Amino acid sequence: MQEKNHSVVVIDDEESMRDSCRMILEKDGFLTETAEDGKKGLEKVKEMNPDIALVDLKMPGIGGLDVIEKIKEISPDTVPIVITGYATVESAVEAMKKGAYDFLPKPFTPEQLRVIIKRGLEKIKLFREAESLRKEKKLIEENFITMVSHQLRSPLVAIAQYFEVMLSGYVGEMSKEHKDMLSKARNRVESLLELINDWLDAARIDKGQLVEKFKPVSLHNILKKQIEFLQPIAEKNKINLEIEPPTGKSTIRGDKETLEQAFANLLNNAVKYNKPNGSVTISFREKDDCIITDIKDTGVGIDKKHIPQLFNQFFRVNRSEGKQGKGSGLGLSISKKIIDAHSGRIDVSSTLGKGSTFSVTLPKHKKATD
Amino acid sequence: MEKARAKILIIDDDPDFRDAITPILHSASYDAITASNPEEGKKKILSEKPDLILLDIMMDSLFDGFSLCHAIKTSKEFKSVQNTPVIFISAVKEVTGSRFQFKGDQEGMEGPDDYIDKPVKADDLIERIERLLKK
Repeated sequence: MQEKNHSVVVIDDEESMRDSCRMILEKDGFLTETAEDGKKGLEKVKEMNPDIALVDLKMPGIGGLDVIEKIKEISPDTVPIVITGYATVESAVEAMKKGAYDFLPKPFTPEQLRVIIKRGLEKIKLFREAESLRKEKKLIEENFITMVSHQLRSPLVAIAQYFEVMLSGYVGEMSKEHKDMLSKARNRVESLLELINDWLDAARIDKGQLVEKFKPVSLHNILKKQIEFLQPIAEKNKINLEIEPPTGKSTIRGDKETLEQAFANLLNNAVKYNKPNGSVTISFREKDDCIITDIKDTGVGIDKKHIPQLFNQFFRVNRSEGKQGKGSGLGLSISKKIIDAHSGRIDVSSTLGKGSTFSVTLPKHKKATD
Repeated sequence: MEKARAKILIIDDDPDFRDAITPILHSASYDAITASNPEEGKKKILSEKPDLILLDIMMDSLFDGFSLCHAIKTSKEFKSVQNTPVIFISAVKEVTGSRFQFKGDQEGMEGPDDYIDKPVKADDLIERIERLLKK
């Protein structure tokens, strides 16, 4: 192993140990630093960000286990390897738990040291490769989403825009047949656009990124806002939208925008698959440390056998009444993804012909100040 | 007395979109002029002095709709036309998928006077233009 760029910090209170390690490692071309106690060792680690830290378990001052834990904090890329005289299984296990990668019992031969260092370096190499692959993959995904969003949508938008202008009669009158066909074409293009939007939404919901945006939000406010949005459509379909205010606080930790989207999808369905003169009622209840939002409709209901597939992408319940709802078939799967990302869940109970209740359970915000 | 026809500038990199919008503007008795990128748009804003600007946000250019709008509203170069209303027209959606909303305050950017999603509904477009021109 002649890799000059690799660096090792040896932390051991025994001088002979430090010197012999340094000799072997320097001979092999490692940049080597030594420290006689944990405190000095950690300073060196902070300074150098070494590839490997050889840590003695039994030292005066900060013990080896604590040193290993600290190394993980200040230099996460460094691979800690334990060297110690009292090599018992327990101390090895304890050290591994704290993040040590390997274990070398004293006394050891130069060859044994070399083997263990080599293994550590291989781990670093693998780790770094995996990391760069992961980054690259993420970048490709993000670029792909942006690419699809722009390149795929632009032509469709242009087509839809031409249809819109023709149908508005601004470029001359058309026969009824022409208009009929053109509106059908427009509807197809618009549902394709909707599908792309929904698909992009689904692709973009990344739990990690969402959690970073979490803030205390009031479920009551979110639902009130969605009801306002839906009111015109509900009135058109003669459906009564009602919300019963929560008795206590309805604050959870979450991302307002995606939660709005999750509830909008559920409410949309409750209105869309309802019957004329039907109703949609929203109420809140508390259970354990959770707030449950019930969205109850008086719609057509869902057959029990379909409920397990309800949240699958592109699943659509076949409706015999010919009441083919518009939409991409992604709405519920998006809602589920969003609620999942908030560590919540959606339950469904339904009676065919009578209606369904979608219950969204979300963990309560601990220090609620609604 | 004949009212002077209002002049609307469309800045969008998609020629089909410009073509499709133009008849809507004509039908409402507006003059329509077009620019296919922000640079050309900049020149036309200064030379043609339009009464209103329809501006695409995502164009294949670094100097995008956001920057151009900000420049119109704040830079010295555009001082003579800085009160020209700007409507964003865009197919851009927020990362989370909710409808696009300009958050100028957060970005430190001057926002548009209004915004419309693509594809644009003819009546909606004319209504919004009328509203801004009356001001």
